Order: sequence, then C-alpha cells, then structure tokens
Amino acid sequence: MLSKLSRRQLLKSMCAIGALVATGVTAVPSWAQDKPTAGGTLVYLEKQAHTSLYPPGAGFYPNAGVLNQITDKLTYQNPQTLEIEPWIAESWDVNADATEYTFRLREGVTFSDGTPLDAKAVAANYDVYGLGNITLKQTVSEAINNYARSEVIDAKTVKFYFKAPSPGFLQATATPTSGLVAVSTLGLSADELGRAPNIIGSGPFVVASEKLGTEIQLTARKDYAWGPAKVKQQGRANLDGITVLTVPEDGVRIGALLSGQGDFIRQVHAYDEAQVKTAGYTVYGAQTRGTTHAVAFRPGNPLVADLKVRQALLHATNSTEIITTLFSENYPKARSPLSSVSAGFVDLSSELGFDPEAAKKLLDEAGWKPGADGIRQKDGARLSLGAYESLNYARSKETLQLLAQQWQKVGVELKLLAGEAGTRTKDDLDPLKTPLVPTKVERADPDVLKSQYYPTTRDQLRQKGGKGVATEFVDKTLNDILDKVASEPNTAKRLEYTGDAQKRLIEQAYVIPLFEEPQSFAGAPDVKDVVFEAVGRPVFYSAWLDR
Amino acid sequence: MSLSKYLLSRLGQALIVLWAAFTLSFLLLQMMPGDAVLIKYMGGDFALTPEQLANIRQIYGSDNPPLQRYLSALTSTLTGDFGYSIDAGVRVTALLADNILPTFRLAGLGFLAAVVLSFTLAFLSYFSPFSWLRRVITMLPSLFVAIPVFWLGIMLIQMFSFRLRLVPVINPGPWVGLILPIATLAVPISAPIAQILMRNIDDVMTRPFVAVARAKGASLNWVFWKHVLANALLPVLTICGMLFGELLAGAVVAETVFGLNGIGRLTEAAVATLDVAVLQAVVLLSAATFVTINLVVDLLYPLLDPRLRKNAKAV
Amino acid sequence: MGVAEEPRTGVSAGSRTAEWWRPVLEQIKGIGPATWLSYAVLILAVLWALFPGLFTAYDAITGTPGQQLRAPSLAHFFGTDALGRDVFSRVVHGSVHSLSGAFVATAVGLVVGTALGLLSGSVGGVVDEIVMRIVDVLLSIPGLLFALSIIILLGFGTLNASIAVGAAAIAAFARLMRSEVIRVRSSDYVEAAIGSGGKLSSVLWRHVLPNSLTSVVAFSALQFGSAILQLSTLSFLGYGAPPPTPEWGLLVAEGRNYVATAWWLTAAPGLVVVIVVLAANQVSKSIRGRA
Repeated sequence: MLSKLSRRQLLKSMCAIGALVATGVTAVPSWAQDKPTAGGTLVYLEKQAHTSLYPPGAGFYPNAGVLNQITDKLTYQNPQTLEIEPWIAESWDVNADATEYTFRLREGVTFSDGTPLDAKAVAANYDVYGLGNITLKQTVSEAINNYARSEVIDAKTVKFYFKAPSPGFLQATATPTSGLVAVSTLGLSADELGRAPNIIGSGPFVVASEKLGTEIQLTARKDYAWGPAKVKQQGRANLDGITVLTVPEDGVRIGALLSGQGDFIRQVHAYDEAQVKTAGYTVYGAQTRGTTHAVAFRPGNPLVADLKVRQALLHATNSTEIITTLFSENYPKARSPLSSVSAGFVDLSSELGFDPEAAKKLLDEAGWKPGADGIRQKDGARLSLGAYESLNYARSKETLQLLAQQWQKVGVELKLLAGEAGTRTKDDLDPLKTPLVPTKVERADPDVLKSQYYPTTRDQLRQKGGKGVATEFVDKTLNDILDKVASEPNTAKRLEYTGDAQKRLIEQAYVIPLFEEPQSFAGAPDVKDVVFEAVGRPVFYSAWLDR
Repeated sequence: MSLSKYLLSRLGQALIVLWAAFTLSFLLLQMMPGDAVLIKYMGGDFALTPEQLANIRQIYGSDNPPLQRYLSALTSTLTGDFGYSIDAGVRVTALLADNILPTFRLAGLGFLAAVVLSFTLAFLSYFSPFSWLRRVITMLPSLFVAIPVFWLGIMLIQMFSFRLRLVPVINPGPWVGLILPIATLAVPISAPIAQILMRNIDDVMTRPFVAVARAKGASLNWVFWKHVLANALLPVLTICGMLFGELLAGAVVAETVFGLNGIGRLTEAAVATLDVAVLQAVVLLSAATFVTINLVVDLLYPLLDPRLRKNAKAV
Repeated sequence: MGVAEEPRTGVSAGSRTAEWWRPVLEQIKGIGPATWLSYAVLILAVLWALFPGLFTAYDAITGTPGQQLRAPSLAHFFGTDALGRDVFSRVVHGSVHSLSGAFVATAVGLVVGTALGLLSGSVGGVVDEIVMRIVDVLLSIPGLLFALSIIILLGFGTLNASIAVGAAAIAAFARLMRSEVIRVRSSDYVEAAIGSGGKLSSVLWRHVLPNSLTSVVAFSALQFGSAILQLSTLSFLGYGAPPPTPEWGLLVAEGRNYVATAWWLTAAPGLVVVIVVLAANQVSKSIRGRA
C-alpha cells in the first residue's frame, strides 16, 4: 500500500515550493531528440495484479499503472518543477483562506462512453472522493481534506466548498488518486470496480479487455485531444496500445525483458541493475519523494518506550552498510525522515551518525546489561524486538536481516516475524507485537509527515487515539507541529514547521531513516519518452517505440 | 445392484462429500485470524475509523453470527451466487469464469503429456538396446519426483526461453505459451504412472504366456501393447483420481511461475487475503471435479475389466 | 503426494510369517550400489544436521557485508548470498530444519493415517464407510489449500509447516493402509488364523499389521522426500519458515529471485534437495522391492 500524493499547498506558494525542490530523477530517461513514431503495442510487465480500481485507491502501484493511462485529472503537476499546470481545468481561483475553489473546465472533453466530462461530472467525482459513499464501500480519498460540497455554476464551471482551510486541495486534484471517471462508474460498488473494463475514464487509453488477475489490453483513444496543456506530447498517444501483464516472479520479469519478450518492467532489484545496464537497457530509478525508507518505533511497547534505547538503536544502525550491501547508487543515503528532494527537507545527518560505542553506552545507561546469550536484559526481560517485513518496499526482508546483524553487535535482538495478511494486519495494530515497523509514504508535499505519523491518519507510531490497540503513548508536541504543517497558509512558515517535525522525529529517535527509495523500472532501449509523475508512477501517454 | 440405482447412490455420496467439503472449509476459514475486510481496510493506506470499519462489515454481513453466515452462504451457493471477492472487487463468478478454462486446459494437457511421457519411459525401460540405458531410464521417475516443481519451472524458463530463446513465455501465442508450463506439470505427474507401468512390464514379461506367445512368433512389441497395456490401464486409471490434488498444486505453482491466469493462482491470492467467498467457491469446484473424476474412473473399471463386473465389492 | 500406491494391484511384499524382520534382512543382502549410495547420502545429511560444525566453519546466520553475491569458489563451495553468508554453510546448518521438518510431516501422516486405515480396513462396515467418506472429503479439498489453511491457523514456522504437510498426507496414508489391511485380511493364512479361533485384535496385531507394514514403510520413505519438496513449495508461496532460518526450501525459494544474476543461490540448494529426495525415493523403492 504505497502512498498518495500531497495536499495542502497553497496556490500562491506553488512556484516557491517548486523552486525550493531539487529536482532529482537519478536515471533520467533518454529524451530522444528525434520525432516520435506512432504505433505499436508496448508490453508492460507488472509485479502484482491490480485490486479495486476505485481511483482513490491508486496509491497501490499496480492500480496507478492502469488508472494513470485511462483517466485524466483536473490539473497536472509538473514532475520536474512540482508546479501545478492546467489539464482538464483551464484555470482556477482560490479564495483567501483556501476554503473555496473554482475550476473552469476545458471544452469538448468526453469520457470513452461518449458522455461529456463537464462540471456536473467533475462535481459528482469529487463528492464521492471527498465524502465517500459507504453504501457502495467507496472510501474518502486520503488526498482530500475538509471537503464540504460542490456546486455546478454552469456546464464548464465547478466550485468546491470546504469546512476548514484546505490549502492542499489544488495539488490533490493532480494526484493519481483523483482520476476522473464517468458518472456511471461512480455508481458501481467497490465490489464491481475491480474489473478494469468497468472503469470509464477520459484518458488517452481505454481498457479493451481484461483477463482477471493477469492481463489487461489498453488501446489508444483516437479522438483524444486534451492532454496537459504544457507537456510536449499533444493529441492522441503515440502507442496504439499497451499490454499490461502480471508477472510476479522477479527472475521471469528480468529475463523476459532481456530476451525481448517484454518492453518495460516494474520493480528491478539493485542486484539486477548491472545486468540490465550491461545489456544496453535502461534502469529508471524514479524518485518517489515523500519520506525515506525508515524503521519507526512504537513507543507504546515498553521495550522501546525509553528514549535512550531508541537513540541507542539509531546509532547502532549503519545505513551506509545497508546501501552498499543491498542497494545501488539509485538509493541515496537518508539524511532526514524526509527525502532530500522534498520541499521542507532539513539535513539532519549530523544526528544520524553510526556509533556503536555510543549505542552501547546509552543502553548501559538505560539499565540494559548484556545477558549470557549476548542479548541485553533488564528486570528479567530480554531486549528482543520483532518486526514484519514490508511486502511493498524493495528488499525489506534483507534490510531487516542486516539491521538485525548490526543491532546484534550492541546486544539487541531483532527477529523477523512471519505471518499471513490476517495475523500481520492484527499484529501491526498492536505495539506489543510490533515494536517497530519499516515505513515510508510517498507524497510530493510536506504534509506527508502528518499523513505518516498523525494518530488519525496512518499513525505509524501507534499513538493513543489512532488505529493502534492497547497503547497509552502520545506525543502532543509532535502532533501539534504536524497540525501546523498541514494548515499553515504561509509557505515559509510551513516549511519551517516541516523542519521542526523532522527534528522532533529524530530528537525523540522515533524513526531511523535508512535510504531514499526510488521506484525502479527497466525498459528496452527502443522504448522512449516514458514519463514518471511526481511520485514515480509511469505515464505512457508520450511513450513511443523506436522500431 | 442395477446401474441406475448404483448411480443414484453414488450421486448421493458425491453430494454429501460436496456438502462436507463446503462445511469443513467454512469452519476452517472461520477460525482464521483476521478477515478480508480488516486486511483490506486496515492493512494499507486507508485510515478508517472503527465506526466506518464496522459499517463496511455490516454491509458485507461479516458481523453476523457464524451460523447465520453459514446458512446464508449455503443458500446463496445453492442458487449459484458465490458473492464477491472483497480484495479484488469482482464477482466470484466472474473470477471463476475467467480462470476455470485455462486451468482445466493446463491440467488436462499436463496430464496427457504425463501419460505420453510415462508410456514412453516404460517402453524404453524395457526395450532400450543397452542395459545401462535401461537402468538409467528406470531411475528417471525417481528423479522426476525429486525436483521442486517451481524450481523446475524457473530452470526451464531460464534455459529454454531466456538463454536459448526457443519458446516465449511472456505474451506468447495461445498454445506456444503452454509448452513449458505443461512440461513443468507433466514431469512430476508422469513419475508415478511410469513406475506402475514399469512394474507391470516386469510382472507381465515373466509370466508363462508371454514365453508361449514369443515362442509362437509374436514380437516383443506385440506382447507389450497387447498384454502390458491391458494390465496397466486399471492402475493408471486409479491413480488419475489420486493425482488430482497434485495437478492442482502443480497448477498453483506453474501459474505463478509462468504468470498465467487460472484457479491455482486465484486460490493462492485468495488465501493470502482470506477472501472467504473465493476460497469457498474454489473448494466446491475442486471437490466437484474430484468427485466427478472418481465417479468416472469407477464407472470405467467394469468396462475395462469384465471380471470386475461380477464383483460387486469392487464397485 | 509423491508416488501413490495403487491399492488394487497391491504389492506382494511381506512374507507369510509374522517375522517381519526377515524380509528386511533379505533386502539388505540384495541391496544394489544405487541404494548404498542413497543410504550414504541420507547418512551424510543426518551428520550435517547433528554436527554441522564438522563440515563448515562459516556462520549460517550472520553474513559478511562486502562479501555478498560471490560466485562459487574454493572458499565458498556454493557461493555467498545477498547478505554475504556462505551458502554451503547455510545448506549444512539447514539440514536439521529440513530433515526434522520432513520427519515430523511423515510421522503425522503415518501415525494418524495408518490408525485411520487400520480401523477402517479391519472393523469394516459403517466405520469403514464413515472413515472412507472423511478421507474422500480430505482428498477433495486441494492438499495445498488445506496445508496453507493449517499454517495460517497454527502460525508460521518450520514445525507448523511440517504438521500442515503431514496433515495433508493423512488421507493417502489411510487409503494405503486400508487397502493393505483388506489384502492381508483376505489372504488364506489370516482367514485361517481367524477361523482357528484367534481373537481379531491379536490377529490384527500379529498378522495384519506387520504384513501391511512394508508398503507403509516404503510409502513413508517416499513421503519423507516428498515432504522436503512440499516444504519448499510452501516457502515458494511465502508460507515457509521466517528468515534467517536456513531451511532448504526457504533457500531454494528465496534464491530464485536472484536467478538472473546469481544462479547459484537457487541452483546449489536446489541440487542438494534433489539429491536427498532422490535418495529417499531410492530407499523407498528398495524397501518395497520390485514385484
């Protein structure tokens, strides 16, 4: 369950934030100078099958891989500058306190079933994404906050009202979780939205057919003429179609790519990168922005309730060794809970030093003395922690095993837990079962920190009042900062609060940042101009095959 | 017992097995930790309040008492309504419709290939020119069941598809793509059949009538096909029913390795997300297939072996 | 389930005396080189399990960063894995997990299945009918699905996975035992024993059980090999032991993700599994003998 995009960025501040962000895609696709050739079908190999294609569920990569091709959004976020540009909306106004947004729509846009994409359709979409429709099991979009209602001014003007300031809403209209679908699609329950042909969008591709769980055929819409106004590609997509295949085996995806049976694949592990490059193929390490790949503690568990224990583990962690052993140069070392290509990033490397001696000293001070088996003990309890691997992050299992080796050296045991989804989900809610968790959220907005750690959102620290069970832990200071990050209209102040939040997370050693994880893809040499949006999901609108 | 009476009683037994399988799997699934709703709505990036979660549970009816859920599952199943997959967001019947045929095709062809392979091996194990070759061939079935199926599949792909580039496995034609998966399935399945055949050959060849036939000028070939085959058919038929479970397990692995759609992969995904509706449908489907295969096998016995017709106990 | 025994042609193993050890002795005399080799392989595997330190000096759990993904060499016979661990050492240390896992799996199937089969075959009548219907139900639920469900219920780990594999084999053991019992029972000498006033239970104990045992023991050896394979399939599907346990199935299953770059990670432990299972199958075959 990867992330959603950012929210709460005030219109006025868009350019400011964009300028502050270092743009960084580590392996930039070879932007060909020659003119794209039209035609051909691209074979895209996915690791996992999509689930329900209800657009707010597009945080899950396989879902976005389909939804990004078949839906359009109100606005377009430039992946390089992070600026918001026109797409289905030609222009927009926001009132002073960010509680009213008015969008003027482009004319002549239709869904693939022929119905018009007009103000009425947009209003219907956002009413569902903003409020949810529980009888149809449609949940509220994580990207939209404080939504009150919509108003159709005329056929091409729609206005949204918010209960409280929602400065991030404009950016939220550009996220893959805000793809616009036909009114008929909105009327289907979540139980029907797992069938791709049921999703009627206005995007450059249309779902032609699907074999559930394994294969989707997308075909280009010949009459598509409403791509984002400022992108190079205009008119219909270059490709005639895309075949999306689910190929779960890593070795089979790589082999299929290198033997010419596939054109583009998702999830290339660092150890296969060299082989792919040697063969003349391209590895794309699309930066996902948002927070770094880290482990977060649940201080509700008495073993990690002591700040000194958490600090000791922070200093016992050698993230450089993890990167050199398991990853590649596409995975920069983390210098903060936030990725260095995110707005508001503060470099905290000086606080994150690897220092096993300091770690041992801290543990001694905390009263944990080495036991007979080398693992520290206190009052009869062993300092043994359990963690589940994350199934969605790159090499989480190996990362945790290496971490266990490093912590072992200071007398702390880290045990890898194993269980199926039911047990895992239950244990994850209970800090006593899972004192720490690998975590990371992708959003091109400072608000990502609130999304990750605030009690009523993902609540990775399992605070009281959140999803967690049997936890008394709460950090009011942190929560106040996160509230300010999410609601401060002044950009400079907001970024300052963002810095405060990062500092608080490290001061309290709630989080051990490890590395900045890209979403890795590989493509054949003749696949050109695949674009990744701000959080690393592929867009095949401008892609073409040089054959 | 007349045939129709026999059929009726077998049908009754079959229905009882189906019902028992349904009930047993329902009980088993009720004991599982967590449920699909929890996994889907609390496991990922949804941040639902407990009330919203309860609301969704209510809509799915997953908060009803177990007996009520059992009865409603049973009655809706009887009317052919298998409900929805919570995780995939699709009607279970749609999932089955997309996946049944590919699996039956894969398993059927895999079994056929296994039979051909085992007969070939058995034949060669007796008629190969050199004794060392015969011994090697006799060893092969043991080797065939000693290889992890997924490992075999991955090795076959690496070798024949990626290195030698002989057969495509990704996005191939409808039949070409089945070559390697069928081979993967056929190798382990062929082993027990080949072993039975080989034992039968040894058995038959030492009998006096073979020597008599040979003395009368019959060729070894003729003896093989006439007597060995006739003798081997029954045990091979019996084993068909027993191999069913293995075929299905093989299909799970082959479908995952080769990225094919089918019941096997569907089952694996449904187990991972505790998608009860899908699992119940799969159990019923496989139980029905199992019962049918066994019924057909039992009906074929007397046709193949007239001696058994008199022996009521055999049926 | 490996090679299933066909009940109807029944193997004519087992002598007509109650001295069950005699055929065993006879078989030991007639053992061929392949069988000797198989016993040697199994003994070596057991030695690995008992005294891993004699065979390798490397740590099986803690790796050496910087030494990761080295190809096989004299220093590392099977190369090293992603964390810089010696794969040969992991295979040697994994022996105890895999062998005990396979042993438990076989024992569960053998004990429960044989008991059911014996009950069914000797008592007959309604009991037979009921037991056989239960067996039918067990066989009709896909074994893999059954095994996965049991693992989910019991929790992950080598022992629980073994129990699951064993439980899935109960039905096959029960069927085999029943057919053996019926075969032995209908033989003249047992009928004679019953006819001459022997108590059913003592006839069962003295004649039926020993004479049915050869097939069951042979099937157990087969099941032992098959259990190793099934444990690896469970690991492949993500239901195996949690890392860093060096269980063989897990090594083969985890190694396969590296097949494009570091083939030895799956090939080396895979070959070990193949050889050990092959040895178990050969032993099974030699116990049963060729009719």
